[in-house]
Amino acid sequence: MIKNRVICLLPFVVSVLVIVQYLLMPNFREFTPLDQNAPTYVWVWVMGAFAATFAVWNIAAVFSRRVNNRLRKKAPLLAVIFLLVLIYDYATLKSGILPQPFVPWPDAILNAIIRDREILLFSLGHSLRLLFTGYGIGVALGIFTGVAAGWSLKVRYWIQPLTRIFGSIPPVTWLPIILILASSLFSGAVFLIALAVWYPVTSTTMNGVLSVPKSTFEAAGTFGVSKVGMIFKVAIPASSPFIFQGLAQGMSIACTALLIAEMMGVEAGLGWYINWQRGWAEFAAMYGAVVIICITFFAVNAVLDLTKRRVLRWKQEV
Amino acid sequence: MKGKLEIKNLKKTFSRTDMTGTLCAIEDLSLNIEAGEFVSVIGASGCGKSTLLRTIAGLETPTAGEILCNGKEVRGTSPDRGLMFQEHTLFPWLTVRKNILFALKSSKRFGTNGNIVDSLIGTAGLKDFADSYPHQLSGGMRQRASLIRSLAVSPDVLLLDEPLGALDSFTRMVLQDEIIRLWKERGNTMVLITHDVDEAIYLSNRIVVMSPRPGRIAEIVNVPMSYPRNRGASDFANLRSRLLKRLNFASDTEQDYYL
Repeated sequence: MIKNRVICLLPFVVSVLVIVQYLLMPNFREFTPLDQNAPTYVWVWVMGAFAATFAVWNIAAVFSRRVNNRLRKKAPLLAVIFLLVLIYDYATLKSGILPQPFVPWPDAILNAIIRDREILLFSLGHSLRLLFTGYGIGVALGIFTGVAAGWSLKVRYWIQPLTRIFGSIPPVTWLPIILILASSLFSGAVFLIALAVWYPVTSTTMNGVLSVPKSTFEAAGTFGVSKVGMIFKVAIPASSPFIFQGLAQGMSIACTALLIAEMMGVEAGLGWYINWQRGWAEFAAMYGAVVIICITFFAVNAVLDLTKRRVLRWKQEV
Repeated sequence: MKGKLEIKNLKKTFSRTDMTGTLCAIEDLSLNIEAGEFVSVIGASGCGKSTLLRTIAGLETPTAGEILCNGKEVRGTSPDRGLMFQEHTLFPWLTVRKNILFALKSSKRFGTNGNIVDSLIGTAGLKDFADSYPHQLSGGMRQRASLIRSLAVSPDVLLLDEPLGALDSFTRMVLQDEIIRLWKERGNTMVLITHDVDEAIYLSNRIVVMSPRPGRIAEIVNVPMSYPRNRGASDFANLRSRLLKRLNFASDTEQDYYL
């Protein structure tokens, strides 16, 4: 079908258009060679790489039906994304319609990332360390209290009001208090993130354990499963779909808490970097950090989702 | 020979939340079941037959009286007394094979029975489904997998709580033959709870008829026919009408209900 072929080619066509516009259309103002935002070929290389990928993909699609189906499915979305890039480039570098210098164009953002790569890498490392320390502690405690609360009526009596309170109050509310009381800014932020993660993991785990049919435990009992085995080999796997729900919720809250903690108190990490560059009116660098944050959080959630799909293979639909 | 059950003056009451007082599920029930015997328990809903089975399994504790298995008092569940429910209780996160391995490892019988897993799966006709998850199986295959998982640990007594109740009648008949074959092969004691009079006659050496409120034994009927039994034989039909009469579902007089 000729129509399908054209749709498949759209991402390639649009990304070439981005390059053509960038190279041939006059900019909204002149740049001196000393201007650090002066247009470079970095953007051309990046868009060229995309265009080449789409070209190879299209060629492969001619030979493989599977590749073709996948491309046909993704092509409209990709074409629109690159169309938006084209419009963004036009609205900033080419026409200056969007207020300058507050909205930098892609080439300037990429160059800012390259220029500041060392400090950005260090900030990224610091953010990830903070995120995963807090997340890990929150998840471990959440699963522990969740299983205990699902298991025992007495524990549930005490845990449930706690999850109700923390569930209705955004965890960052406690940030000022935590930062005053904590021995270091890092440990304070870890505590905040762990607290933010603890609540959703606890309540979903508890609901998961409560939803396991009694007969599942009874059947396990007839095989002589011990008390400890009931928890680790029956209750936790049986409630794993619920636990993963909590892990995903917890991750999005943890990411929010991380950025707020870094912007308000912790003097390192990507959140801090954004604030710092804003103070210097380095908008391209600020946008660069935003881009890195988006990519990082997207990747972290993608890994979590992949793990979930693997672990929950046994579920009818995930 | 192991698998002898002695139930002595068993009484089981439950406290009720909707009214004061207690509900008497089983009242003074005594029954001996020989090792290797196949006994069915039938009766109307609420006659305490499920409670009886759960108490034998060790999931309920007797209010009074006692249950001995192989001469020892029953306290809690044990791999010696397997239990199969109406709804399959396969662990949905494990494949059929891993479900069986779980049972073997939990009961610490992997060492003696580990080598029979594949042959069990084969005899149950699940060879192509050994690595499938429970939700990928049909209802009949799930119950079959449940059955072989219960048998894999070689229980002395296998308690069956309406295991075929949720299946269509053709699948049910196929599985009844399967149960007889496995029972003959392994020689363990079987106690079956059922609503289905035909099923009870087809499978068991003895049928215990229970009457409700409070649950007690109304009659114990021997089934002297040899296996495999013919569902169409005249003594089969005679026994069926006798049992139905006992359960008040058939009457030899014309008088039934006046409206």
